[in-house]
Amino acid sequence: MKKTILSLAVVLTFALTAFSPATKFITKNGHISFFSHTPVEDITANNYKVVGTIDPTSGEVVFSVPMQSFEFEKALMQEHFNGKDFLNTKAFPKAKFQGKITDLTSVDFSKDGTYTASVSGELTLKEVAKPVSASGSITVKGSAITIEAKFPIALADYGIVFKKGKPSTNIAKSVDVTVKAEYQPE
Amino acid sequence: MAKRKFFKWLLILVIAGVVVAGGIGLYLFNKPHRDVQASSIDFSISSEALVQEFLNNPSNANAKYLDETGDSKIIAVTGTVHSISKDLKDQFVLLLKTDTAKVGVSCTFTQDTNLNAEKVKSGDHVTVKGVIRSGAGYDQDLDLYEDVVLEKCDLIKE
Repeated sequence: MKKTILSLAVVLTFALTAFSPATKFITKNGHISFFSHTPVEDITANNYKVVGTIDPTSGEVVFSVPMQSFEFEKALMQEHFNGKDFLNTKAFPKAKFQGKITDLTSVDFSKDGTYTASVSGELTLKEVAKPVSASGSITVKGSAITIEAKFPIALADYGIVFKKGKPSTNIAKSVDVTVKAEYQPE
Repeated sequence: MAKRKFFKWLLILVIAGVVVAGGIGLYLFNKPHRDVQASSIDFSISSEALVQEFLNNPSNANAKYLDETGDSKIIAVTGTVHSISKDLKDQFVLLLKTDTAKVGVSCTFTQDTNLNAEKVKSGDHVTVKGVIRSGAGYDQDLDLYEDVVLEKCDLIKE
């Protein structure tokens, strides 16, 4: 009896390893942008240097974002963004997102197609971690996958508050973050 | 009469002041981005040495290379091209890295300099000038080494 259970366990372990998909997907080719809308002006910034991973087994999603790679149309805005009052990128050069795909069972990483998915986790800016949730899509095509997602963040969550002057009227309290990334298996 | 003249001049001065201040404000608001390729090089270094500085002491390296305004140091990096790719903005990305190294220097070109990157083949020994955006390091959550990031790059003569 003991032997049967043991051999069954061995067979099961082998079977699971054989059928589990690629260990991990990696992206170094992504695009993160954010958009702030106020009646005074619209501000966008773009970043093409994100690094990220997706573990198809656990559903874990990680992004690391070099903050100085955000580019604005206006040089002065970019300076303010990097500065001490805003994101202090010299002291905190990277932002991090860590989360999990909440509806992992609806995504088949081994079958071509586009799946809607939700991710929830924590976004860390300036060492302040706050919960965020994003909904989007995962597209599987051959061995590669592409994800697209969008979520809002409240600047006040990260201690970014402007009481007076131009920033208080020209920067929205909540900005929309859009993510697109192309992954390859590790 | 003298009083009136004084006020007239005062008014002219105030108006001139407002115009100058407004002009400066408008200039600052609309000032162009720094032209990285037209600016002088702050450091010339090999890709291995640059990576090593960040691996040895990340906080010292960040303090040395990153600027509070985001206009960080302009670096001329020399190294071997490990791989060539294109990002989602259709910009060429050259990874300078030796075959045995875990991590290298990722150099993103621009629409204006793409043509120069196009001629590069992997294995070439090149010098690339660009602005540093972030350093190299091991990230525990990614379980990966992240490359040094250089952007606004172009090839320069060694």
